[in-house]
Amino acid sequence: MTLIDKKVLDKFLYHVEKPGRYVGGEHNMVLKDWHAVDTRLVLAFPDIYDLGQANLGLSILYELVNDRPNLLAERVFSPWHDMENALREHDIPLFSLESKTPIKDFDILGITLPYESIYTNVLNLLDLSGIPLRSEQRDSRHPLVIAGGQACFNPEPMADFIDAFAIGDGEEVIFEIIQAYQEWKSKNLDKKALLRSLALIRGVYVPSLYEVKYFDDGRIKKVFPKVDGTPKTVLKRISPTLPAPIKKQIVPNVQIVHDRIAVEIMRGCTRGCRFCHAGIVNRPVRQRNPEEILEAIELGVKATGYEDLSLLSLSSSDHTKILDITKAVYEQNKDRRLSVSLPSLRIESFSVDLMDELKELRPGGGFTIAPEAATDRMRAVINKPLPDEILFETVETIFNHGWLNLKMYYMIGLPGERMEDVEAILETARKVQQMGKRLRGNRVRVHVSIGTFIPKPHTPFQWANSEDPESVQKKIDFLREGMRQSKIKLSYNRPDSTLLEAWLSRGDRRLGKVIERAWQNGAKFDAWDEGFQKDYWYKAFEEADIKPDFYINRFRDINENFPWDHISTGVSKDFLLEEYEMSQRGETRLDCRKGCHVCGILDCFSDIRPNQENTYWGCP
Amino acid sequence: MNPITPFRVRIKFAKSENLRFIGHLDLQRLFERALNRTGLPLRYTQGFSPKIRINIASALPLGFISRAEVLDFWLNAPVDLIEICGKLQSALPKDLHILDIQEIPNKAPSLQASVLLSEYIITFPDTYAQDDVNASLFDIYEQETIQVERRGKMVDIKPMIKMLKVFIEDNSTKLRLQMDSSATHNGRPDELIKLLDIDPADVIIERVNLIFEE
Repeated sequence: MTLIDKKVLDKFLYHVEKPGRYVGGEHNMVLKDWHAVDTRLVLAFPDIYDLGQANLGLSILYELVNDRPNLLAERVFSPWHDMENALREHDIPLFSLESKTPIKDFDILGITLPYESIYTNVLNLLDLSGIPLRSEQRDSRHPLVIAGGQACFNPEPMADFIDAFAIGDGEEVIFEIIQAYQEWKSKNLDKKALLRSLALIRGVYVPSLYEVKYFDDGRIKKVFPKVDGTPKTVLKRISPTLPAPIKKQIVPNVQIVHDRIAVEIMRGCTRGCRFCHAGIVNRPVRQRNPEEILEAIELGVKATGYEDLSLLSLSSSDHTKILDITKAVYEQNKDRRLSVSLPSLRIESFSVDLMDELKELRPGGGFTIAPEAATDRMRAVINKPLPDEILFETVETIFNHGWLNLKMYYMIGLPGERMEDVEAILETARKVQQMGKRLRGNRVRVHVSIGTFIPKPHTPFQWANSEDPESVQKKIDFLREGMRQSKIKLSYNRPDSTLLEAWLSRGDRRLGKVIERAWQNGAKFDAWDEGFQKDYWYKAFEEADIKPDFYINRFRDINENFPWDHISTGVSKDFLLEEYEMSQRGETRLDCRKGCHVCGILDCFSDIRPNQENTYWGCP
Repeated sequence: MNPITPFRVRIKFAKSENLRFIGHLDLQRLFERALNRTGLPLRYTQGFSPKIRINIASALPLGFISRAEVLDFWLNAPVDLIEICGKLQSALPKDLHILDIQEIPNKAPSLQASVLLSEYIITFPDTYAQDDVNASLFDIYEQETIQVERRGKMVDIKPMIKMLKVFIEDNSTKLRLQMDSSATHNGRPDELIKLLDIDPADVIIERVNLIFEE
């Protein structure tokens, strides 16, 4: 182990923006004796500290690994441009926050891949660490490079760069990976031996052990393991019960996004919205019992000193004990200054009651709802039915209960969308604004946020096309003009900034070349509005001789083999197809708590379903 | 409303190592959270969004270290000072070290209003000899004004310099420097260092004393 020269480091930290991002030293940071442990991990979130430190997955794994006496986990994030320049100029390899050890000296580098637009940053992070980019260029002298996170359900675009992917919940599999690493290390074998042993762990995907054959037109003919014993399909891992809440959340010294205590109250969602990747890949629903939530809050407040807390889930209203929870959280915290936010509420008056239960604990500011589509037809297509009466009744209750700011999320570019569906967004926003003004006067502010739909792998819309950016732009222009006239605030993404996510989401391993070229052309921080330069990418596609339209704009037959078909979320492709066909017929499906639709999850995981009442699963 | 008289506590603390790269606003937030973790009966500011009442005497520029920072906070009830010190120290990161703690009359003037001067010790790299530094500083100080640029405007910092003394300690050339540190006249030692054609990142600037109005 060689530590970074502190004198040199201090000198250039003096000149970079927000140097506190790079020095660690936060409350609850864990700094262990390097020589007192067997295996050393570094957990990387390939974006700046300000974003990455807020990632819950990283915090969970950091604490779980550091709780083991024979292991240590440190952290690293992407340096901002000024810091990157300083590192390159002084020839200093990227280092960890805790002990300032070069990343290349760790045993295992674990990278979080929460979304696709972070991929070029992964390459940049490896390069800054002095680690060869491609898995095939690395041997037993280099750290094992593993990745996990929501984007890994289609690992193929990153197949060239990552040694092994952990598919699904990482809380258990991380220790199995470490154990395999330790056994391999004790035997002094080559890297291939390690990869083969990793591939035998349930939920671990080692892309180099698979081969892909293509048809002449570029579609996938088949994907198969090259090595005997490697599974044909990798089924994701789940934690049957949610891991214990974080006891000692790191309290950053510099301000980050979501700078607050995070308590996960439920994982997964039963709603079945057809566009929603998180809703499929995080099945089944597992909820935390109220006692554990209250304990987590108590511990969190004492361990961090934060005065803000967020109860996290994909759909807070669906926790079966949510009313008890909000009441108890109020009773628990009414005598301290704690602001509690409860995001992702269903559109119904009950949600307003829930917020009311928190009384003075709820944060100032607005109420947020996500109708996603504005016509009954479109809402049936995406399986998020919501009669207009309920929407307006809810909005009325929101205003009547004192809220003045209302934010509404919608999507455009959905499969089968017509101009009338977009026009309806404007009409609804206008009606909502009029209602607000009638009830509460001119102080009411309505804010509409528009997202562009991107077809995601493992969802019923994985067969659908992405709308081309020009046509999306027309819809945005229409909304912008209409909202401007009505003085309704509108926010939206630049249509071409969603292109990248669309290419990569349903990409195959041939895109590895494109990602590498794009990075060489200068692409990084693609998730940032000012970061994404589409020219880098178009040039990269050209250099790799690949047509970008192949990934977003072509008919996909129902029998097509997808690049991610050998990765299983537990939800069957047949079920997704059935859902896709229902969406084309405008048919909806009830929340699966009301009856099982046999998506496949229980077939895969019923053997590990806990039978205590306290560890509730959403499946019937 | 807080009917009882607040218990006002003043601490002096050192800021070193990693924490030197944490700016003033972040430091304020850090203290709020650390105080919150102590479980002490903290007093909040009045108004629409109350905050823990904290008053830091003088913002320490990013990159400087210090053994003389001063901060006031208020409690709703008297607590033994040794207990406060113990609880707060264990809630603080290791690079913030409490040096002194005392009770202050609630009516005492605010720290920011009464701070006058800062005293710094600047340690030069080994390559800088005492005589050279001395000569360069003499040349600068001999001029009628010492102009530096602040946000596009030229400012004369000569009147802000109250003491300059070059000396040798532990084989290093050092400068003892007193400068204005009031709300209206705030001297920045790094500005003087730049005039010597030295990158402030190459020296260690430590605040060693804060001088208040009597």
